[in-house]
Amino acid sequence: MKLNTCLFLALLCCTGLASAQETYDTAGIPAELLTKSTAVVRMEEQNFTVKNTHNATYNYKIAITVLNKNGDGFSYMSEYYDKFSSIYNLKAVMYDAKGIKIRSYKSSDFKDESITSEGTMYDDNRRKGLVFLNATYPYTIEYSYSKDYNGYLSFPSWEPIEAYDLAIEKSSYTLEIPKSINFRYLKSEQLKTDSTVTDTKTTYKWACQKLPAFEHEPMSVGLKNLVPWVTASPNEFEYDNSKGNVENWKNLGSWVYQLSNSGQILPENTKAIVKTLIASAKTDKEKIAILYQYLQSNTRYVGVQLGIGGFKPITAEKVAAVNYGDCKALSNYMKALLSEAGIASHLVIIGSGLPSLKTKYASFGQANHMILCVPAAKDTTWLECTSQHTPVGYIGDDNAARTVLLVTEEGGKLVNTPVYTPEANLQSRKTTVLLAPDRSAAIHIKTSYCNAQYEGMLRMLLIEPVEQRKKLMNNLGIPNMEISSASFLQPDKTSPKIEEDIVLNSSQMLTQGGDKLFLTLNLLNRRESVPAKVENRKTSFSVPYGYRDTDEIIYTLPEGYKAEFVPQDILLESEFGKYTAKAVLKDNTIVYTRNQQMNSKKYTPEKYKDLVDFYKKIYLADKQKVVLAKVN
Amino acid sequence: MIKKLNLILIALLFLKIEVSAQKTPEKLLTFKYGKVNPEEFETKAHGADSAAAAVKLFEVGNAHFEVGPSGTFVYVLERHVRYKIINKQAYDLANVEVRLYRDGQGSEEKMDFINGATYNLKDGKVETSKMNNDAKFTSRLDDKHIVKKFTLPNIKEGSIIEYRYRTKSDFTFRLDDWYFQDRYPTRYSSFSIIVPDYYIYKINAGGYININQLKPISSTSNYSIPNATSRTENVSISTVESQYYVEDAPAIKSESYITTLYDYISKIGFELNATNFPNTGYKAYTSTWPKIVKEMMDHESFGGFIRKNSASKALVKEIIKQETDPEAKTNLIFNYVKNNLKWDNKYRVYTEASNQKAILEKKSGNSAEINLVLLGLLDAAGLECYPVLVSTRENGTHPGYPLATKFNSVIVMAGNGEKKYLLDAVDKNNVKDLLSYENLNHKGLKIDRTAVDGEWVSTDNTLASKTSVFYNLVLDKENKLKGTLSVSKNNYDAVETRNSYQTATNEEEFLKGYKLNKPGLEISNFKIDNVNNPDEALIESMDVTIEDNIETAGNLSYFTPLLFERVKQNPFSLEERNFPVDFAHPNEHSYRLSIEFPEDYKLDQIPKNERFKLPDDGGTFSILYTVEGNRLNMVSKISILKTTYSPDEYYNLKELYKNIVRKQAEQIVFKKS
Repeated sequence: MKLNTCLFLALLCCTGLASAQETYDTAGIPAELLTKSTAVVRMEEQNFTVKNTHNATYNYKIAITVLNKNGDGFSYMSEYYDKFSSIYNLKAVMYDAKGIKIRSYKSSDFKDESITSEGTMYDDNRRKGLVFLNATYPYTIEYSYSKDYNGYLSFPSWEPIEAYDLAIEKSSYTLEIPKSINFRYLKSEQLKTDSTVTDTKTTYKWACQKLPAFEHEPMSVGLKNLVPWVTASPNEFEYDNSKGNVENWKNLGSWVYQLSNSGQILPENTKAIVKTLIASAKTDKEKIAILYQYLQSNTRYVGVQLGIGGFKPITAEKVAAVNYGDCKALSNYMKALLSEAGIASHLVIIGSGLPSLKTKYASFGQANHMILCVPAAKDTTWLECTSQHTPVGYIGDDNAARTVLLVTEEGGKLVNTPVYTPEANLQSRKTTVLLAPDRSAAIHIKTSYCNAQYEGMLRMLLIEPVEQRKKLMNNLGIPNMEISSASFLQPDKTSPKIEEDIVLNSSQMLTQGGDKLFLTLNLLNRRESVPAKVENRKTSFSVPYGYRDTDEIIYTLPEGYKAEFVPQDILLESEFGKYTAKAVLKDNTIVYTRNQQMNSKKYTPEKYKDLVDFYKKIYLADKQKVVLAKVN
Repeated sequence: MIKKLNLILIALLFLKIEVSAQKTPEKLLTFKYGKVNPEEFETKAHGADSAAAAVKLFEVGNAHFEVGPSGTFVYVLERHVRYKIINKQAYDLANVEVRLYRDGQGSEEKMDFINGATYNLKDGKVETSKMNNDAKFTSRLDDKHIVKKFTLPNIKEGSIIEYRYRTKSDFTFRLDDWYFQDRYPTRYSSFSIIVPDYYIYKINAGGYININQLKPISSTSNYSIPNATSRTENVSISTVESQYYVEDAPAIKSESYITTLYDYISKIGFELNATNFPNTGYKAYTSTWPKIVKEMMDHESFGGFIRKNSASKALVKEIIKQETDPEAKTNLIFNYVKNNLKWDNKYRVYTEASNQKAILEKKSGNSAEINLVLLGLLDAAGLECYPVLVSTRENGTHPGYPLATKFNSVIVMAGNGEKKYLLDAVDKNNVKDLLSYENLNHKGLKIDRTAVDGEWVSTDNTLASKTSVFYNLVLDKENKLKGTLSVSKNNYDAVETRNSYQTATNEEEFLKGYKLNKPGLEISNFKIDNVNNPDEALIESMDVTIEDNIETAGNLSYFTPLLFERVKQNPFSLEERNFPVDFAHPNEHSYRLSIEFPEDYKLDQIPKNERFKLPDDGGTFSILYTVEGNRLNMVSKISILKTTYSPDEYYNLKELYKNIVRKQAEQIVFKKS
């Protein structure tokens, strides 16, 4: 991908004369921006002016041409605000294909609404928004607004190609900042930075033009490597009466530390409970398990985002009184419980389900969650304090294998959370199938699910049996079946493992064809599809998580039938993983074994066709059938 | 196409309220706030709900009217609830959200009182944790909604939670429905309402469980009414107290192919029938269809909007030009509205704009605005047309009797004499008599503006939505299939494909979606006809190459003749069904395959031709094979001919699909010589 189209436009802008009325005639869109795109950003101007450590103004203007119905998804305006920011000067206009104005919007057309997410009791996040509607295509929307910040934690970032199918005619980001204020920025590799300096301030400018759209590619992770972007953050800030320095992770950690540090005092009765609970525990490990169990059975997650932009946890004392809190409050409370038991721990700032924190660039907004880390020389314990169910020390796939920030007295420290290997994310299944001449079968399935696969099954463990059966009926994929019994158990509360036991009958286990019967060997774990081929793939891709599945099925053949054909063994091996399938016929039984391991890794675009090929071979292997014929 | 309305379904759904049977107690049970007995902690769910995560011990609603500060009546509801929490899955019950509405013109709902507490049993004693004020939150959702939230402290498995709150509402026309059923089993739910004689309400009850009613109690209440001298005057008014209850209601759980679960919950609702104030006298609201129709026609956001059609009058000439044929005029107008006005995805009975001009300028609007502009243009062209009020599937079934507030959208009926059709212009893929799927809720109220009356008409689309697939293929010796595929679709099946074609970035993207989950299929020379011509059948045709579908075993080659179109699973897997199966419209899926196979392949035995039928012409499934030389032909056809099937018919439907799954899985086997 060429990025030399990304130029800085300083010269153009310095002339000061280029501000003629924009024209949005769609005939003027360069042809290369129309292929594979559903909308084209005609112009985007993003200006952020920092006044001092707590005041800043943001001016934004964009015009987007929507080419077809699919592009309606880009036909809206939405900007967030809270009690430290306000939006004004809202303007919006719509133009027809020729660029003739067909509609202006009034300020009352903009909707003002709370965007507190479901399940959150309180936060003050709000949005101003407008949905543009037009029945004919193409059309162009244009809107602009200003936003004042009274306190900020970070600066707006710039990412003109935020989605697939979107092309850019031109876009720019201007950041104006007093010389007295230090800040940092991170940008895409080939993007040029232009800066101009005067006595009091520095003006930075980034820009791009004529970027064609990217089409959606399956399993993609790499769009960000191909498009221009900038993210910027102040070194010092004042926010909600709190001053901080976030020049590096160490300082960011210190700021969070001082917000929480005074809030770890437990009431006397909770202290007494801790003493009683751990009285007979010998090791720290035991104490951690006991106190975590106490946390899980006595508290629950309730989202309440109050204080310093939601960064200050509710005190442990308050949590002890009501037994609920958000991730910060519960982690902080758990820290206090452990501390009472003489065990030191650290709050952890983490991007749950997000990429690792960028080691060389500290900023808010890379994280969205808090957990707790109990350090030990050999065996550090990580605790997800908002879960009602997960075993002690298990933090889940969304928190695993990423760089996070420990909040310590000495400041923030970057560390990595544990990795759950494919071998550990194990699903292991043993099935017996008793086939009858009428093509029906009695089936008994025993499966255990570990770690990430345990998480996937956790819901099954928790729902009512009626709902479990509904789900099994929909998910098992065995034709015309009736379930006799189904049970889900977690035998050891301290281990992430679920055991499933299902007994069922199918009236149609074997399919007929001519005078033969056909038995699909892989009963339950078939790959039914292959990812779509992509010509000239541009983005990297990843296998989201690594896992291993092992299946063993013992078939007893129907009376009066013999196996006329048994498929050959299959071994597939590639950097993506390993697959084996084998069927062994002995007397009137066939033992089918299948092992599949997938590795979680990031791969370069050209590897994609190999992955498709690998999955296709698995798809074919999973369809293999035994042919049964009547014994004469 | 509009068939006679079937009222049996309605009768099934809306059970009568049982008034004081022999066993009926004289009084409703009462529960004192804060008084929890240790025995209540032993509550267990039973029967089908034995694994429930919580049990609602009771929910009591006490409603009455009081005189508000402005001298008008205000509806006051006190709700008092207690749950036993059995396990963590029900913890969300401890977080409560109440949405309050205000119209922006001074009328509003308010909550003026909340109490809450959690009770835990410790060493045989009940320990109370009261909810503090810092656990109560208010946020402004948007211009018209405030949300009150609160969360209860110290929740554990085994806790009992209790809360009560009071709301006061200026809106007395339609009172919120009271639900006697919940997603958790309910031990006792009661609702009592004291209504002053000034108000006469119509009662709307529904659901599958009988609601008991006690004998109404007549008495008098004192109301202080502010007078001109800013003093209050005490007035004694006769009142009637109505009391309803349900005991041991099972948890209600969703099923597939239903309209909305709210259609099946036991509930009671109130809509104002008339007022009878001493100074203004008897004023009827909506007791009859003529009155409802008059009200709506007088309403500025309905009748007013319809009448303010000067812009439509000016525009219609441009649309119909010299056309004189009424049907052709209707088509031109319908197409104009469909293609020029964009729907904002909101179903409404009332318009927000005050006249048609505003919508024609804005070129977008809610369902009422778009369809009433359509009506306005038809009016302006001098064509016979009627607004038709409907309740969408999500909004639930209308009970049938005169009740205005249950409608939430408008469509249009047009045409002359016997030849009438329904028009719904919110989607450009809709055609005559093809309404948006959400509007397929069986009936609508046709408004006759001249007679000032309403009449139920069926909105069911009785023509099946058809998909016909035809593969004409040659099998080569490498077990590759090559040939052509053509697919023809109409009605709702076509709408779905039109939508996905129109919302794809380009044809290439559309084809990617088409090939998804069809491994081995490669497409070339794709052609799609009538994608923007919804009056005609949608035809897709293409050349195909199919790999990996023929399997081999020794000298056998075999495959499933329904290549990618097989029904692999029975959609009706559950043993029992409590609610009707509502498909919204009839369906017909036919599949044809013709394969020429190599000379040295021998077809041993072909599957048996079979045909299955539902009773009462409810539907059929057939599968037929024929062989001519080295060409195999097969046809599989599924016809679901009714829109709804009662729970009694469920078993037959399930059996039909069982046979579909079985027969469509059968293999074709070739022997190579």
